[in-house]
Amino acid sequence: MSTNIRRIAINVGAGFVPGINAVVMGAALAAGKLGWEVVGIRDGFDGLLHPDRYPDGGLLPLGPRLIDNLDPAGAGVLGQSGRVDPFHVRTVNADGMVEEVDMSDELLKRFKAEKIDALISVVGGQGLSILYKLQRKGLDAVCVPRAIENDVAATLVSFGFNSALSFTIEMLDKARQAAQSARKIAVVEVLGAQAGWLALQAGIAACADAVLIPEIPCDLKAVVASLKGKITPRRPYGLVVVAEGAKFVEKAQAQADKQPENSLKASLSPLATGDASEFVIQRSGQAAETVANRLQLLIAEETFPLVLGPWTRGGTATAVDRQLGLAYGAGAIRALDAGDSGVMVAFVPPDIKFVPLAQAINKVRTVPADSEFIQTARSLGICLGREPS
Amino acid sequence: MNQVLKPAAATGRVLNIQRYCSHDGPGIRTNVFLKGCSLRCKWCGNPESIRPKPELAYDPRTCTGKKACGLCLKPPFPEGAFYVVEGDDDKVRVNWDLAGGCDEALVALCPTGALSMFGKTMTVDEVLDEVEKDSSFYRNTGGGITLSGGECLLQPDFSAALLAGAHERGINTAIETACNVPWAFVEKVLPHVDTMLHDHKLTIPERHLKWTGASNERILANFKKAYETFPDIDFIARTPLIPGVNADEEHIRAVLAFIRPHKNVIDYELLPYHRFGLGKYEHLGKVYELDDYRTPSDEVVRHLRAIIDEAFGRSSQETPAGK
Repeated sequence: MSTNIRRIAINVGAGFVPGINAVVMGAALAAGKLGWEVVGIRDGFDGLLHPDRYPDGGLLPLGPRLIDNLDPAGAGVLGQSGRVDPFHVRTVNADGMVEEVDMSDELLKRFKAEKIDALISVVGGQGLSILYKLQRKGLDAVCVPRAIENDVAATLVSFGFNSALSFTIEMLDKARQAAQSARKIAVVEVLGAQAGWLALQAGIAACADAVLIPEIPCDLKAVVASLKGKITPRRPYGLVVVAEGAKFVEKAQAQADKQPENSLKASLSPLATGDASEFVIQRSGQAAETVANRLQLLIAEETFPLVLGPWTRGGTATAVDRQLGLAYGAGAIRALDAGDSGVMVAFVPPDIKFVPLAQAINKVRTVPADSEFIQTARSLGICLGREPS
Repeated sequence: MNQVLKPAAATGRVLNIQRYCSHDGPGIRTNVFLKGCSLRCKWCGNPESIRPKPELAYDPRTCTGKKACGLCLKPPFPEGAFYVVEGDDDKVRVNWDLAGGCDEALVALCPTGALSMFGKTMTVDEVLDEVEKDSSFYRNTGGGITLSGGECLLQPDFSAALLAGAHERGINTAIETACNVPWAFVEKVLPHVDTMLHDHKLTIPERHLKWTGASNERILANFKKAYETFPDIDFIARTPLIPGVNADEEHIRAVLAFIRPHKNVIDYELLPYHRFGLGKYEHLGKVYELDDYRTPSDEVVRHLRAIIDEAFGRSSQETPAGK
């Protein structure tokens, strides 16, 4: 396959992640060395499906001049689409009626018409499933995993996670200062509907008193017992980090609080829906509010909820993500050059590997019970909502 | 009655038939919800009605999990459509992007009923036989059949046949519509309608487009033409009241200015936004788009209703005749 490639495209899935330019740069630079032409598809697949919407063209040539002047810490060069699913494109038909149409065949035709031989797609969970379907229809594609929550399976780390982690730690430090000043317990909700990596790693770094993650159903009485041992007249404050998908062992109480064990997000297929739609207004704050209210009823301290939620997605890429983005972009080109299609670039230390998409979809990378991070948290005295069994 | 409009074997896509309804037209009614909608309102309380074809639904609460069952993880179910994740949670999850091939026959294999289909094809007579079971209630209360959706006008032949058939059986008819369809569809159905409940969701076209996916220019044109073409129909305007979207005096007054010149618009109802439909989104694998929104306060609803009552020249306690 490698000898046939002359022109490739790169696009970005839904959901903002800092520093995606680094992936674009990595791919463009590596492709340039092979003599391949690279174009960026604006706004997911929109630039290819609806070129009429773009006065400057739906495809952005990623030539040396543009790449040389690109900020690898930025994220805006290819834009963002609210939802990237060519199988269900919302449109208004000739009769003025809104409907979802399958434009996957049209998309593949457009790839051919533009003489694009392969696609590199920077996507999260749902994007992997969609690329898997496109690949089964004949599109040569390589995916770069991108997930703020680091929940994409088959890779140790997804692009964007480290930047989110750094920002979250910074915010937790500030929350703790606020709690210290107000003499209260700050309950901070962070992203993590399915996996608690962000809450756990940020909570450890910020020396939180408790971290509640989806993988460990939480007994709030155990949290209270732990907090009682830590909050003293000399230290009259606390910091609790709660992932938005945290679960509770007190099912009945959780239901009474209208916080079902399977929250809306958690009960949805994490790989099929996610938070991709431009029409989605994210629910946020429920986990923090529930935990803050329940704790306040169980302990003689005041609590206050804070929600980081979508704030975490903004900002500038960290050094780690810049390196990872460049490595993933270049790795995707190596995969195509080696004739590997239908794969995801994965960081499996110490190597960048190529994992078949079939192995990456329908999985969620959760925190295992024997994780080093779990053990570290327990060693530091951080309550994880339940004592180890 | 026009026989062309009532072929007994004509079929349509029906989502649900709901008996003993009291808020969708006069008296006690049977609501027939049809599949398919031409808008995508972010607050939609019936997401299962949006797509025109029957579609897969999944209720994780009744799934017994991989160890106890696991049937859907193997053929003949589509590869990759269902899966479980590592950890304690043994319940099956759905990859909605890969589950498109599931049909009624496959879903019937699920022994716990966790998998089901929203929507089925029914004939006119099948629907009317079900509706007719409550004839005594209709006679005593002035009730009847109400076609809802989705958008019932998207199936104009089926809707017209249902309503004509209802009239033949002596049943009062009503429809609940947003009217975002070509006038030809409206024109086909309205001759068989006694009461038309119609939505004025937003006034400004650009805002209507933003929140529902389509502009309201044709909708308003359809309403006006309907008021003028069918003077004998009782029209009842409605607004689903959503704080931050349309729960404001300006919108209510704009709707009143639109409807009051037409004497056959007998009432304007406010439907305070509720979140009852939220659970259905889970079952369909869709994300609810207005998750952070709350119901409007009683105070706001009372204030806006008072404006409507004043425009209709009645005190706040009165209700229009027949309601």
